[in-house]
Amino acid sequence: MSSESPVVFVVDDDRAFRDALRRLLTSVGLSVEVFPSAQAFLSNPRRHAPGCLVLDVRLPGLSGLDLQQELANTDTTLPIIFLTGHGDIPMSVRAMKAGAVEFLTKPFREQDLLDAIRHAIDRDRVARTERLELAELRRRYDLLTPRERDVMGATVAGLLNKQIAGQLGTSEATVKEQRGHVMQKMQAGSLADLVRSASRLGITPAGSGPTPPR
Amino acid sequence: MTTEMRKTGIDVVGDMPWGTHVCLFYETKEDLLDTLVSYCKAGLESQEFCLWVVAEPVREEEARHALKQVVPDLARYLADHSIDIVSAGDWYLQGGSFDLKRVMSGWHERLALALARGYAGVRVTGDTAWLEKKDWKGFCEYEETLNESIANQRLAVLCTYPLAACGAAEILDVARTHQFAIAKRHESWEIIETPGLKQAKAEITRMNEELEQRVVERTSQLTAVNEELRKEILERKRAEEALHQAREELAHATRVTTLGELAASIAHEINQPLAAIIADANACLHWLEADRPDLDSVREALAAVAKDGDRAAEVITRIRGLLARASVAHGPCDMAGVIGDVLPLVRPELGRHGMILQMFLAPDLPPVRGDRIQLQQVLLNLLVNAVEASREVPPERRRLTLHSTVEYRDDGPWAVVGVEDGGVGFREPEADRLFEAFYTTKPGGLGMGLSISRSIIEGHGGRLWATANADHGATFHFALPGMQ
Repeated sequence: MSSESPVVFVVDDDRAFRDALRRLLTSVGLSVEVFPSAQAFLSNPRRHAPGCLVLDVRLPGLSGLDLQQELANTDTTLPIIFLTGHGDIPMSVRAMKAGAVEFLTKPFREQDLLDAIRHAIDRDRVARTERLELAELRRRYDLLTPRERDVMGATVAGLLNKQIAGQLGTSEATVKEQRGHVMQKMQAGSLADLVRSASRLGITPAGSGPTPPR
Repeated sequence: MTTEMRKTGIDVVGDMPWGTHVCLFYETKEDLLDTLVSYCKAGLESQEFCLWVVAEPVREEEARHALKQVVPDLARYLADHSIDIVSAGDWYLQGGSFDLKRVMSGWHERLALALARGYAGVRVTGDTAWLEKKDWKGFCEYEETLNESIANQRLAVLCTYPLAACGAAEILDVARTHQFAIAKRHESWEIIETPGLKQAKAEITRMNEELEQRVVERTSQLTAVNEELRKEILERKRAEEALHQAREELAHATRVTTLGELAASIAHEINQPLAAIIADANACLHWLEADRPDLDSVREALAAVAKDGDRAAEVITRIRGLLARASVAHGPCDMAGVIGDVLPLVRPELGRHGMILQMFLAPDLPPVRGDRIQLQQVLLNLLVNAVEASREVPPERRRLTLHSTVEYRDDGPWAVVGVEDGGVGFREPEADRLFEAFYTTKPGGLGMGLSISRSIIEGHGGRLWATANADHGATFHFALPGMQ
């Protein structure tokens, strides 16, 4: 979990609106950063901070939808709330399909925007937590020897030690010892814990020698 | 001038045109004198110069005496050389023999002299009683030459031949070398028709008939054409009225359509300050809820609310101006102001299509005389066209340049405005068609925008034209004369 406080990034080419939005969000205690264009936002190094992005659909140069695409192509997973002057259905469908949190039409109800921002920040927090947990699991999995990985795969598939020994051509005692190492390295308190970790790593129980996707 | 008719003084001939060459066969001296005095009298009375060449047996005094009987003031005519009576020996046989060239040039000299002295022309009569057999052939040649050269001259020639001296062969020769022949035998007249005369008469009759026929035909043709023209003029008038009306209607429709297309943009224009006002008002409410309100922030937000309120009101005012259908009377109009009116309306549209606007505006544009709303409409139309033309092109070409310049012409400064895009453009041969009514390259376009725009600009005494850019897109220019 990151200790950084969330930031609301606002990209809108209308200065008056941009400033009003900054004042509104500041007044409810959010920290805000505003940008006049997609390019200005992209060149800002702080865009990797946790939070969300409030984005005008129409922008000079790179449009809001273009920016959404651009961010999806990089590793930035900032949730996006779109704002538009007039509701254009195909445009909003496209934005939502591409993962937008919300699509609001100006002038919007204050509560709708604040709710959307809270929702987006929560979503970003959960997503970031999940990403950190997965990274930790992967680090643990990387500590396993190839034979231990085989044993883990067979174990989460529900095979008994004896069956595993037969499959790997070794003794039951050896399998038992290796299984102990796996439980220890993966910091699994129970078989159920281990199965959950395997599933999050994408290890399918059936195959032998599975490769978790990275 | 050669068709001018002269009195011959000879009853049987009547009037003759200049260029007449006629021969008279006579029986007696009386026949000859009677005819010639009458001939010369008519000439003198018509302000012609007369030359009478006499031959034996008639002598000069005899001729003068005979003429004096009918022309009482002959002495005056003789004194001022309105008439010369000379002998054949002096005229034809100067130097002892007949010389065709000398005699011919003698006539022409007399003619030039007479015309220079203000006479209407020259009337000649020459007797041939002096002719001998040996001279006959040469004289025939002379008569033939004279016959040919006399046409189109202010010259009339009456050649007289004594019948007694002429055999059948000679009469034939004479008749052939003159336009026509007359004969006077013992006071009675005969007209000897030559083949040429006969033919000419027939020709004249035929031509007259033909001419009359053609006059009838042409008259009826002209009547028909006149009727047709009258109808066509009426039709054209009606068509013009209809076209004018259709144009008016379409101009209105186009304006409404353009506005319809822009309605969304206009809504955006109003929504923008409205959204800012709501956000600021809410911010103020949040701040005021605190135990120790941040009054500086509240003040800042309220100032912004007031400013955004003004901005929204301004948009409404502009739309009202644009919607007014009734055209205002032409008045002084500043193009920079027109540009300023229209830009806020298209700016959102430009933004929506990711277009970048560049402006190069002359600070010293001359004011023009015109209808501000119509000029706004033209500029709006050009800008919207530029956006539409750039819709399908790559983003780096989605740029729009608006420039205004002053051009100094003979009649003073002109304001020139150009709208340049990097869009689909047009091929040079299309350049003029672009302004034709109902010509469009846009899917769903009416093809009236540019046509109406051109009418408006021309109605202001200006010019609207298009040029293809060297790389991409097109530039539309309009020039308006500055107010004097």
